Amino acid sequence: MGMGSIDELFSDIPEDIRRESPLPLPEPQSEEEIWDDAKRLLGANVGLDDRPSFLAAGLARNFVPTMVGMLATRGEFLTSYTPYQPEVSQGMLQAMWEFQTMVSELVGLPVANVSMYDASTAAAEAITCAVRVHRRKASQDNVVYVSEFVPPQRLEVIRNYTQGSGLDIKMLKHLENGHVDMSLAAEAAGCCAVYVEQPSSFGILDPGLMGLKEIIGGGTALIVGVDAVSLGIVKPPGRWGADIVVGEGQPFGIGPTAGGPIYGLFACGESYVRQMPGRIVGLTRDVDGKRAFTLTLSTREQHIRRHRATSNICSNETLIALMGAMHMALLGPRGIERLALRVTSATEATKRAVTSIEGIELVDPGASNFREFAVKLPGEASNALAHLDSKGVLGGFDLGVWWDFMSTCLLIGADERTSESDIDALVAGLSSWLKEADR
Amino acid sequence: MSDLFEFNGAEGAGWSQPEPSLGEQEAWSTVPEPLRRESPPVWPRASEPELVRHYTWLSSRNFGIDTGFYPLGSCTMKHNPRLNERIVQLPGIDRIHPLQPEHQVQGLLAIFFEMQEMLSICSGMDEVTLQPVAGAQGEFTAMRCIQEFHRSIGQSHRDKVIVPDSAHGTNPASAAMCGYDIIEIPSAADGRIDLAALEEAVGDDTAAMMITNPSTLGLFEPEISRAAEMVHEAGGQMYYDGANFNAILGKTDPGRMGFDAVHYNLHKTFSQPHGGGGPGSGPIGVKSHLSPFLPSPIADRRDRVADDPEGVGDDYWYFWREVGESSIGKIQQWHGNSGAVVRAWAFYRRYGRELERMSEHAVLNANYLRHRILHPGSDTAERMHAMPLDGAPADVVKHEFTISLSALKDAVGVTGRDVAKRLLDYGVMAPTLYFPMIVPECLMIEPTETESKEVMDRFADDFHEILCEDPEIVTSAPHTTDVRRVDEVWAARNLVLRHPGPE
Repeated sequence: MGMGSIDELFSDIPEDIRRESPLPLPEPQSEEEIWDDAKRLLGANVGLDDRPSFLAAGLARNFVPTMVGMLATRGEFLTSYTPYQPEVSQGMLQAMWEFQTMVSELVGLPVANVSMYDASTAAAEAITCAVRVHRRKASQDNVVYVSEFVPPQRLEVIRNYTQGSGLDIKMLKHLENGHVDMSLAAEAAGCCAVYVEQPSSFGILDPGLMGLKEIIGGGTALIVGVDAVSLGIVKPPGRWGADIVVGEGQPFGIGPTAGGPIYGLFACGESYVRQMPGRIVGLTRDVDGKRAFTLTLSTREQHIRRHRATSNICSNETLIALMGAMHMALLGPRGIERLALRVTSATEATKRAVTSIEGIELVDPGASNFREFAVKLPGEASNALAHLDSKGVLGGFDLGVWWDFMSTCLLIGADERTSESDIDALVAGLSSWLKEADR
Repeated sequence: MSDLFEFNGAEGAGWSQPEPSLGEQEAWSTVPEPLRRESPPVWPRASEPELVRHYTWLSSRNFGIDTGFYPLGSCTMKHNPRLNERIVQLPGIDRIHPLQPEHQVQGLLAIFFEMQEMLSICSGMDEVTLQPVAGAQGEFTAMRCIQEFHRSIGQSHRDKVIVPDSAHGTNPASAAMCGYDIIEIPSAADGRIDLAALEEAVGDDTAAMMITNPSTLGLFEPEISRAAEMVHEAGGQMYYDGANFNAILGKTDPGRMGFDAVHYNLHKTFSQPHGGGGPGSGPIGVKSHLSPFLPSPIADRRDRVADDPEGVGDDYWYFWREVGESSIGKIQQWHGNSGAVVRAWAFYRRYGRELERMSEHAVLNANYLRHRILHPGSDTAERMHAMPLDGAPADVVKHEFTISLSALKDAVGVTGRDVAKRLLDYGVMAPTLYFPMIVPECLMIEPTETESKEVMDRFADDFHEILCEDPEIVTSAPHTTDVRRVDEVWAARNLVLRHPGPE
C-alpha cells in the first residue's frame, strides 16, 4: 500500500481535533477475567427465580423451553444481518414468515410484522399508523383516545412518538369496577384511533370492550394491547372488532432480561398494511419457480422512502422474535391453552389467598383478572413491599409509582411459575406486615 | 423442504407442562363467558425433535458472520465473541425485572454506570443514556431532546433539519417523526460535505444538522469543525450519527468535532450480534445543555455509607436517577436493551484503554482491501471487462469504502446487483448495494477489524475473477444458493404474508 505506519491512515483527521492522550479506561482483560467480573457483578443481582416473586407490571416471569436458547443462538441466525440478500437468508425469512403466521393466528388478524421494539413502541406506532389511514376522513381528525389506565411510561412513549404530528390525546374514562365507561365511549366516535388494553394494566378482562368497535365506528381504528399468553383462552381481539393488535411478545421466547431485548407484537387488518411500520416477509418464488421468501413492501421503509417513511425503524428485534416463534411452535395449540390456564389459575389462587386476609380488599371487586390484580391496603404499598422484601418476598408493584392516588394499592402478578408455597409466603408476609402496622 | 405447519402429529404433547393448579374447568371459569376463546390458534403440533430438525435446517439456509466473510458496508459485521452470549444467560440478567428494587440490581446498575462513563469518554459527551434500543431510536431520542431544548429557550420556530444526501435513511426518517421538515443538501463532487450548500441551507429556522463522520463513503470530513461552527452560528444543534464510530474510536471524537449529541450503535461498534435484523442498542450521549431533556432514568452512584446493604464490592452505592421535569419522558418502557448493554460491556472490557487498536485494524483492513481491489495484477486486469472505479477518490479511507461498477455496466451490461449476487456463489456475503445513492452502481464494502489478510486477499481475487467471467453467468447469478434469484415483484404484488393454513 506504500505506507509506513498506521498513523498515516489517520492523517486525514485534522490535527486540532485529534485525541492526544490514550483513553482513560481500564487495562484490557482476558476472557477469563471478564467472565469472573461478569459473574461477580451480575451475581450481586437477585433474580426472579431466587425468591417468591409477584412482580409483573407488563413483563412475564416465564419459563423458556431449553431448545429455544440453544437453537436461536446458532451462529447462522445470531450473526446474520437483516435478510436483504434473500438467496442466502431463506432460513431467517421463512422463520419470520412462520412467526407472522403464528402471531396472526393468535390475535385473529391477517397480517403481522416481524416485530417492534417492545409493547409500548408497538402501541405508539400503531397509533401513528392508524392516524395515517384515517386522518383524512375522520371527523375528529386530530384526536386519538387512550385508556386512562395505560401505564404512564407507555403513555410517555406514545406522547413522544405522536407529538410530531400534533395529535390531541384524550383519555378514555374507566368505571369504578375497572371497566371502560361505555357510556362515554361515543365521544371517541369519528376520531382517528382508540387504544385500549385487554387485560388492562390491572389485569382486568373487560367483556364490554367487545362492543367498542360498534360505538366508535368504521372510520376509527380500534387498537387493542394484549397479554399475548392470555389469548390461549381469551377471544382474540381481531374477532371482536380490533383493527390493530399490539402487545409484549416477551412471554414467548425470552426472560424479562431487565426490560430488553424484548419484542413488540404488531398485527393489523389488510387496510393498514401499506401504512404499517416495520419489516414484513412475503412468500414468493425464485427464477426456477421454487418456493422462496423475501422482505416485501419495503417502499414504506426508511432506507427507500427516507423522510416519507411510515416509521424510522430499521434494527428491530428479529432474533427475539425467532425465540418467540420457537417457543410458540413448541407450545402448539394445546400448549398455549394450557399455559394460559396455568397463569389464570395462579392469578385466581393468589387473588383468593390475598383477599382472605382481613384488611386487604380488591380495588376492582367482581372483575375477572389475568396475570395481575390490584389490592387496596390499609397503609402505604411501599411500606408493605419493604416489609415483604425483608421476608424474602418480591411482593408486586407499588401503584403509587404510576398514579399518586393509588399509593396504598399493590399490583400483584402471578404466572405459570407461581407455587403454593410462594402464595403462602406472600400471605404470611402481608399478614405479619398488617400485624406490625396494628402495633 | 421443511414446513412448520406440516407438523401435525404431536397433539401439543411435544413439550410438556404441569396441569393448571385449579383444574381445567375451574380455570376456564375465570374468563367471562363472552370473552372465552372458542378454538385455539392454528399453530403447528410438533414434537421437540421435529422442531430441533426444522430450525437446524432453517439455520443451514442462513448466512451469518460465522458462515463466512460479511463485508456489508455501514453495518460493521465484526465477530461476535461467544463469551458475551454466555454472560447474558446468567440469571443476574436473564431473570431480572426492570422494576426490582435497587438493592436487588446493584450489579446491573454498576454495569450501566460503567457503560455510560465509557461511552462518554469515547465520544467527548457529558452524559449518556442507554435507553434507546436501536440506532434509529437513538436518533429519534436525541432529536426529541434537541426539540425540547429549543422550545425551552424560546426557539420553537426552528423546524428544519439538514441532512446530507449521503446520509442513512433513518436520519431524515427520525427527524421527520419529530415533526421536522428535512432539507437534504447535495454532497460535493468528492463525496464530502459541501460547505457552500450548507451555508445556503442554514438559517434562523435550522433546528439541527444530522451527519455521520466518516461519511457513508468512508471519508473523514476534514471541514467538520467549520460545518459545526456554521450550524451553531445559525443557532442550530449538531447531531452525530454514530453508525461509523468504529473508524475513529480513540483517534478523535464527536465532542472534539463540535457535536452536541451522538448515538452509538452497540450492535456495530460494540459487537452486539445483529441477530438477523435485531436486537440492536442505540444509546445517546449529549453535551450538558441537552442533559435535562434525556429520558429517565439514568444509572448513577454515590459513596457507600455504613447503613447501605452489600453492593458489588466497590465503594459505591448505585441507583436510578430521575432526570427531572424537563425530561422528554420514556422512549422505551424500561431501561433499554439491557442484554445488549451487558454484551457490549463484555466486549469493551476486552480492549479497555486499547480500544483504539480496534479502529486502527478496522481502518487498516478497509484500506488494504480497497488497495487490493483497485490494483489487480496485470494479467487479471487484462482479462477484466472493466475496472471497478473508486467511489470516492481519496488517499485513505476510514473503515469502509465505495466502488462503482458503472464502467462494467456500460461495457457488458453487468450491474452492481449482478456482481453482488455472483459473490454469493463464492461463499461470501454481498456488500451493501446501491448505497450511498450518490455513487452510481455502488458497492459499499466494510471488512471490519476481525478479518484476516488471507480472507481479504481471497475476496479481492474472487471479486476480480467475477469481473473476468462470462457476463451471462454473472447476470444470472446466483447459481449455487438455496434458491436462485428471488422474484421480489411477485412478492409485492401478491402479498402472501402468512401461511394459508390447512386446506
